[in-house]
Amino acid sequence: MGLLLSKRLATIRPLAVLPFLSALCVVVGITWLLLLPLDSYSRRTYISENALLPGQASAYFGGSEQNIFSAYRHEAAELANATDAKRVQVLGNIFAAAGLKVGRQKYSYTASGQTYSGENVYAILQAPRGDATEATVLSAPWKNLDDIQNIGGVALVTTLARYLKRWSVWSKDIIFLITSDSLAGPQAWVDAYHDQHTSNPGVESLPLKSGAIQGAIVLDYPSGGNFESIHIAYDGVNGQLPNLDLVNTAGNVALHHFGIRPTLQEMWDHNDSYKDRLRTMLRGMVNQGLGHARGGHSVFVPYHVDAVTVQVHGDGWHNEVSLGRFLESMFRSLNNLLEHFHQSFFFYLLMAQKRFVSIGTYLPSAMLIAVNFTLGAIGLWVDSLGSSPPLPLTTTSTEKSTSHTTAAPIERDLFLPLTTVLVFHFLGILPLTLFNHLPTHLFTRTFSAFLFINLVLPFLLSSTLTSLIPASTRERQLKLIKCFSLLFLGMALSALATLNFSLALGVGVASAVLTFIPVEGNGKVVRGVMYVLLQCLSPGMALVGIACYWGVGMEEVLREASFGWWVSGMWTQIVVWCVWWPAWLCGGVLLAEGLVGWRGVEDVPVEEKKKQ
Amino acid sequence: MHLLSSLPKLRLFLTIITLSICLPLASTSSSVSSASSTATPSQAPSEHDYNEHLTLRPLPGNSLLASFNFKSNGSLDHGDHMLLFPRSLKQVLTASWARELHVKFTLGRWNAEEYGVQPNSGRTAGGTGVEVWAWVEAGDEEEAFARWTTLTNALSGLFCASLNFIDATRTIRPVLSFQPTGHHSDATLSRLHLLHGSLPREPVCTENLTPFLKLLPCKAKVGISTLLDGHKLFDANWQSMSIDVRPVCDDNGENCKLEMEQAVDMVVDIERSLRRRDSPIPKPRPHDQLLCDETKPYLTEDASCFPLDNLFDLGWSLSEIFGRPITGTCPFGVKEGVEALRVCLEVPDSRPVFLSVGSQERKFDPQNRCFLLPGEGYFDMILPKQRPPTLSPSTPPALFAERSFTGYGQERGGVQTILRNPSLTHSVDFVYLESLPWFMKPYLHTLSARLSGSPQANNEAFIKETYYRPALDRKRGTHLEIRMSVPRNSTVLLTYDFEKAVLRYTEYPPDANRGFDIAPAIIGILESQGVVGGVGGGEGRKVVSYLRTTSLLLYLPTPDFSMPYNVIILTSTVIALAFGTVFNILVRKFVLKSEVPKLGGRVSGLVGKVKNLLLKKRGKE
Repeated sequence: MGLLLSKRLATIRPLAVLPFLSALCVVVGITWLLLLPLDSYSRRTYISENALLPGQASAYFGGSEQNIFSAYRHEAAELANATDAKRVQVLGNIFAAAGLKVGRQKYSYTASGQTYSGENVYAILQAPRGDATEATVLSAPWKNLDDIQNIGGVALVTTLARYLKRWSVWSKDIIFLITSDSLAGPQAWVDAYHDQHTSNPGVESLPLKSGAIQGAIVLDYPSGGNFESIHIAYDGVNGQLPNLDLVNTAGNVALHHFGIRPTLQEMWDHNDSYKDRLRTMLRGMVNQGLGHARGGHSVFVPYHVDAVTVQVHGDGWHNEVSLGRFLESMFRSLNNLLEHFHQSFFFYLLMAQKRFVSIGTYLPSAMLIAVNFTLGAIGLWVDSLGSSPPLPLTTTSTEKSTSHTTAAPIERDLFLPLTTVLVFHFLGILPLTLFNHLPTHLFTRTFSAFLFINLVLPFLLSSTLTSLIPASTRERQLKLIKCFSLLFLGMALSALATLNFSLALGVGVASAVLTFIPVEGNGKVVRGVMYVLLQCLSPGMALVGIACYWGVGMEEVLREASFGWWVSGMWTQIVVWCVWWPAWLCGGVLLAEGLVGWRGVEDVPVEEKKKQ
Repeated sequence: MHLLSSLPKLRLFLTIITLSICLPLASTSSSVSSASSTATPSQAPSEHDYNEHLTLRPLPGNSLLASFNFKSNGSLDHGDHMLLFPRSLKQVLTASWARELHVKFTLGRWNAEEYGVQPNSGRTAGGTGVEVWAWVEAGDEEEAFARWTTLTNALSGLFCASLNFIDATRTIRPVLSFQPTGHHSDATLSRLHLLHGSLPREPVCTENLTPFLKLLPCKAKVGISTLLDGHKLFDANWQSMSIDVRPVCDDNGENCKLEMEQAVDMVVDIERSLRRRDSPIPKPRPHDQLLCDETKPYLTEDASCFPLDNLFDLGWSLSEIFGRPITGTCPFGVKEGVEALRVCLEVPDSRPVFLSVGSQERKFDPQNRCFLLPGEGYFDMILPKQRPPTLSPSTPPALFAERSFTGYGQERGGVQTILRNPSLTHSVDFVYLESLPWFMKPYLHTLSARLSGSPQANNEAFIKETYYRPALDRKRGTHLEIRMSVPRNSTVLLTYDFEKAVLRYTEYPPDANRGFDIAPAIIGILESQGVVGGVGGGEGRKVVSYLRTTSLLLYLPTPDFSMPYNVIILTSTVIALAFGTVFNILVRKFVLKSEVPKLGGRVSGLVGKVKNLLLKKRGKE
């Protein structure tokens, strides 16, 4: 029976199966992702760390504290047009009056010709009986991401600073931080806290420090009045996420103890249907994949500090008292922590406040897509020896074929393909440097030029390549070029999938077509269609897609990327320009080879075939 | 405490030790009460005297520093004759050959910026947790360490602290930082070994206070020690309990006696103490108790209230702060002279003070207002609310020190100590002592000192002398002592990098993800260059005051402790699968169906026989 099976297997050309296997991997990978929101594949969220005890302590914020909040809100509103120095002084005085130690920090960053500067002010509530080994952070940016003054947030943080000072339960210091803006300010502060700011002379050292930061909550409450729900933002820089326990604690405390509806990923109306879960998950994946900072919390995550931003949304019956109690309760929970957050997941996809999938469940989908490239590369490596005939059934023909191959051994010429692939990857440094160094006002023009260059560059490169490769080995060399390019892509993406799943998946899906680009044969029409498809799936077009998704101009997207590179330490650009773009360029060149037609193209293969 | 709770056996062991220690204590107390009846305190010989003081100093931010000081003397000879000196401690000292002993229990943070120099120049306070050092008389280092182990184990039982965890890895032998404070003859000095250990993670609590109070001649029954209530003491922002035992002689080196100084220093938050009386929960104040700034323009628009703080000194009394007044006086105390039992208050004369009946005010020095306790009954002191607040002058410390970790990640990190000299006229010389656990491996070549703001390290200018004893894995920790100098009005950054070791699975303590506490750095300020004399220190200069940095929390690469479980499950599965398959292949024979003989062999033979038998029987029937 085994003999029969092996005989049957022998009739199938393994190489012919590989493209189908690759396609299957892509299809299964995407289907896998789409299955995740179903009840059978996702899990209910739960609090894994027993010490957190969310909402177990009663919160007492309210009463006369509301009057103080109201006064501080007036103070903050009066400072709307004040200078940094004035603002920092007034806020510092409020903190100092509450009996806290106050520190200030000036910072200034430069990215793509723009300067981001400001001054942070912070105060440390030293835990009574504490020994400065651990700390938690409550922060409010002076201006939120939409550049609206965060009056309520600042007023609530200052009020809470006074109120929490009176408690003697704290085992960790609480740092109250008012940053100038939502991204550069927190970045400067957290860098300086860990003494990682020395490379940037614009960022001052911190005059005061406390212990290791165990958790941070950033408050975005511009209205300072009534609200309906809170939005919990949790994406860190480069797709790193805070511990799931923190996100769950925030959701749990808000919903079950104060009746505030928590929302995720700007899904304001989430009815827990498949569609809404999928949308939440995909929005989360877009944010994770882009890896940009999405608020003050994002910059804490790379330092292994778990952080979330709490943003208020809508108009409802909740007011500053509910929010103050929510924060009080959150800090009581954080205060309970004996150890650093470690119990729950760091790799997860949330699809509803009470639904998530962990890395073990979702990782296969990105891995399968990465594997599709590797399979393609393996196929090409074997295939590059020359188009071998299907394995013959009879022994006599087998002998013949072996004698044939031994008679004329074909060796792979690796130098040119390897060099080509390497050069393509080094070419990626050009757009990387270009878009990180250009001043902002040149972005739109340069980017248009870049899109145009993308359109013609494959043809230019293919003509250069044609002149370099001897016609006799052309097909084999091209196969090897594609093989190495795919191999590198597969390797890079499978490694990336464990770090930033969404980015790996996004790049993988967008470049899945690369596996199926024909090196030989096929008419010009097919190649033409594929070339158009490839142009639509280029990294440049992906940027245009992001601009459309955000509803902003190209300049804004590129400015954000450059800011991420220079300030937040984001490395999505490296993946895009040094992994994706070279692979894409390689595919483009291979298609262009077939589209333009080579010198004596039609003759050479015929001759070769005759020889064989 | 984590260690203790994780080891029930050890706890039991400790309890047994404590019990056995408590038994002689009980007998001591009975002997004390009998002694009080027979010998009146005034007739007690000079080597068996006792006195206790309480000094109260208001600090900025409505805080109050209360320094309790109890001094009892005992005879130095090795006899059993104990009058006031606790017999339990004397026995421990005798058994371990400890000639001078210092034990410190400290909790919280001293806010040097506001409070100034620590009480007693930092002599009675330790670093966070427990710190103990002693001069042990021994022939060689090995013997000294054995005696040191005896000492720490005995003290562990005596004070209900995990002092027995001070093993070789946590013990250092400081060279520059400490000098004996008592009188030792030259012959003894040459045989003395200084050993120092600290437990930064030890939470100091009531179980340490009770044995501490039991060492006092009057326990906490009468005298100023009645104020020492665990609930109040451990609610303080900063508190330190210290025991210093040293031999003291007169100037001629005669009339030696063993002196034990017990000190409790605490910084009380007056507002919190007063509020606790009304409600343990700091609920928001009622509206009528809010003090609002009436000048704010928006006040009329809504019910806003911009709060005003620190407008006045809160009024307080001893019984409000400590929960009870002082009851009686300890009958063994010195009654006359400078050393008389008293309560002193460091407030200006302008501030009114109301005393309970029977107490007298005495002026011993101009800054203090001291009150002699009445012999019987209660003593209380009331300071009414004072507006505007009195500014109590504080002496700034000679040096401000702040230590923190730099960098992140699980492989390596750095330590940065910011040393600021506030003096406008004098540079300050000091010894900086670090005792690091072996799993934190400093790179000495990265040790650098630079002026704040300047990028260039300038070690020669600031580092005068370095004593370094490198760590041995699992055997001893790093001991680093640096004699430094910081110029006037400047800030020096002392930095070094270190590598984190990967521990064995079983070496992690419970709650491993919390991290490891690194003991505070000890800074001993040397006396200024003009005055020369004294022993130890750098260039024979004496250490005049001490200060300590806060402790640090070091994250090491920590395994997921569910991992061993996963590994066991996985390996078991793999082995079961492999074994199953191999076993299957070994004992079975695979054949094609066609090759199977039709009911042949033994089995079919048996079946056939049975069938035949049955058939025969039927045939017979």
